[in-house]
Amino acid sequence: MMRGGWFKVYTIAYLIFLYAPIALLPIFAFNDATVIAFPLTGGTTKWFAKLWEEPELHRALKNSLIIAVSSSLMATALGIFASRASTRYSFPGKAGIMGMIMLPLVLPEIILAVAILTVLLGLGVPLSLFTVILGHVLVCTPFSIAILSAAFQSLDRSLEEAAYDLGETPASTFRLIILPLVMPGIISSLLITFTISLDEFIMAFFLAGNENTLPVYILGQFRFPQNVPVIMALGTILVCLSVALLATAEYFRRRGIAKTGGKDTGGFL
Amino acid sequence: MTFSAEKATMIEFKDVHKYYGDYHALRGITATIKAGEFFSLLGPSGCGKTTLLRTIAGFEGISSGAVMIDGKNMAGVPANKRPTNMVFQSYAIFPHLTVEQNVGFGLRKDPRPQAEKDKAVAEALEMVNLKGFGKRAAHALSGGQRQRVALARALILKPKVLLLDEPLSALDKKMREQMQMELIKLQRQVGITFILVTHDQEEALVMSDRIAVMFDGEIAQLADPETLYRKPASRRVADFIGTMNFLPAQIKSEAGGKVEIEAHGFGQLTLDADQVSGANAEGASIGFRPETLTILFDGQTAADRESMGTVEEVVYYGDMTYYDVRLDGTDAPMRLSMRNIPGRPVLDIKERARVAWSPSAMVLFR
Repeated sequence: MMRGGWFKVYTIAYLIFLYAPIALLPIFAFNDATVIAFPLTGGTTKWFAKLWEEPELHRALKNSLIIAVSSSLMATALGIFASRASTRYSFPGKAGIMGMIMLPLVLPEIILAVAILTVLLGLGVPLSLFTVILGHVLVCTPFSIAILSAAFQSLDRSLEEAAYDLGETPASTFRLIILPLVMPGIISSLLITFTISLDEFIMAFFLAGNENTLPVYILGQFRFPQNVPVIMALGTILVCLSVALLATAEYFRRRGIAKTGGKDTGGFL
Repeated sequence: MTFSAEKATMIEFKDVHKYYGDYHALRGITATIKAGEFFSLLGPSGCGKTTLLRTIAGFEGISSGAVMIDGKNMAGVPANKRPTNMVFQSYAIFPHLTVEQNVGFGLRKDPRPQAEKDKAVAEALEMVNLKGFGKRAAHALSGGQRQRVALARALILKPKVLLLDEPLSALDKKMREQMQMELIKLQRQVGITFILVTHDQEEALVMSDRIAVMFDGEIAQLADPETLYRKPASRRVADFIGTMNFLPAQIKSEAGGKVEIEAHGFGQLTLDADQVSGANAEGASIGFRPETLTILFDGQTAADRESMGTVEEVVYYGDMTYYDVRLDGTDAPMRLSMRNIPGRPVLDIKERARVAWSPSAMVLFR
């Protein structure tokens, strides 16, 4: 066997393990049997059509979109402030503060969710979409900071000084120079945090109260075996959407780096 | 290279100190820069030259003292209100704008009609030999072109002072030499005071009317290039500017404008009092430049003194050859330079050579 041959086999096996289940989604989404099993019985698009007849699904989808849009906007806005502060200024305790902001990235989400739930109940805050948004902002902000820090970091400090030197104020410098140059990073952050929020289950499960979000709805549907092919159809759509969003985000991130003449130090894709 | 004393003062540093926490970056800078002068701040990295430049631009506050520009104290005047513009080391060309938009950036708040501003941009581009580049994307330019855009962008505002922070350090040697000449011509053409920060002593000598040599946050010597080269104020300045040979010496007597010294291998020498220069921490020594020593070929005689020596190293530069020659009776080889005239042989290592020298070309550091 050629050099590195076993690594090649391992890599291919790994990728199959990772993606084969996802590849099964569309296969069963277009299969006309209710039972998820081979052999396939015939092609159909009825499961996709059925998606239109589920008011509960539509409500969950609407909730998820509201949550995802709100939390991606808020997380990205917070991310802009934090990344700008951490890349441009030095202040006492900076490393510690940034570390604590990034911590939700590695903390067990269920612990966070339970902790937030306890506090909210203690304060008497009713559970709603708003409480889910709070939880999602907490989860999404570290991702936003990771993306935006790279964007701010690749900005040459003297660009700001040059604009200032040429008569601009700090505010107009931010608008005319910094914002356009980090815009690809901001778009990338919006798209990625949107995707994260849309897929998120644990926070939504604990903090949504009587409302459903898409992932919570999906899990609920598995109680009804006859609905599983519909979920497969929904899953197919979601996978395509996620991939498209992430690819767009990565496109903007790379374009941003190319624009400022920086070096690519790796992203999420 | 001449500098007339009647020129008005453009910049005045009055006992400027700058601290970064405990670090004393500028230690009492007092100097004046004249209007229309090509002035250089020269020194090794960390000497405070860039910090000093940035106190003029307003990017760096000062801890005490005063920076005056054209008679006005700049305390509390922010960078965007100062009559200075800067060419940054990285050029800081805005990568998302075109060449034109970059050059015209400073005119954004200019009340003139757009047509006039466009004309000013076109003129500025022509001045830096970038005519026809206006529509190009800034990030697609070469290093030399970025440099020119940065110059045009700074000069279009007709500042009283143009600040240049190591503007040529990113260019290759040939391009650098070409830009040096272009900058000199440009400065004469626009008549604006140029202040250049550089660590390259050759660049400073080539371009400047006057040079401030800085070490450890202080100006060690402020002089025109020739004085700096011929009569450095200290051994440290002498060592930094060009090449100088040093030889320990003992001062025997000083009287009537003459100094009697004993230099190992050179014997008893008499120097004029004006050949005596400033501080040398390592005790008295004499210094002389490589070109003040000459190898004598057959038929040539020394105008002053002559010694025998052995060639220890030969460095051939094309137009010049540098030799390290150990004169008989001395401890260390001396560097000397000879112009390579056709027909004159280049000596080899270990060859014996007659060397002409003169006490009048020496500087005594004490």
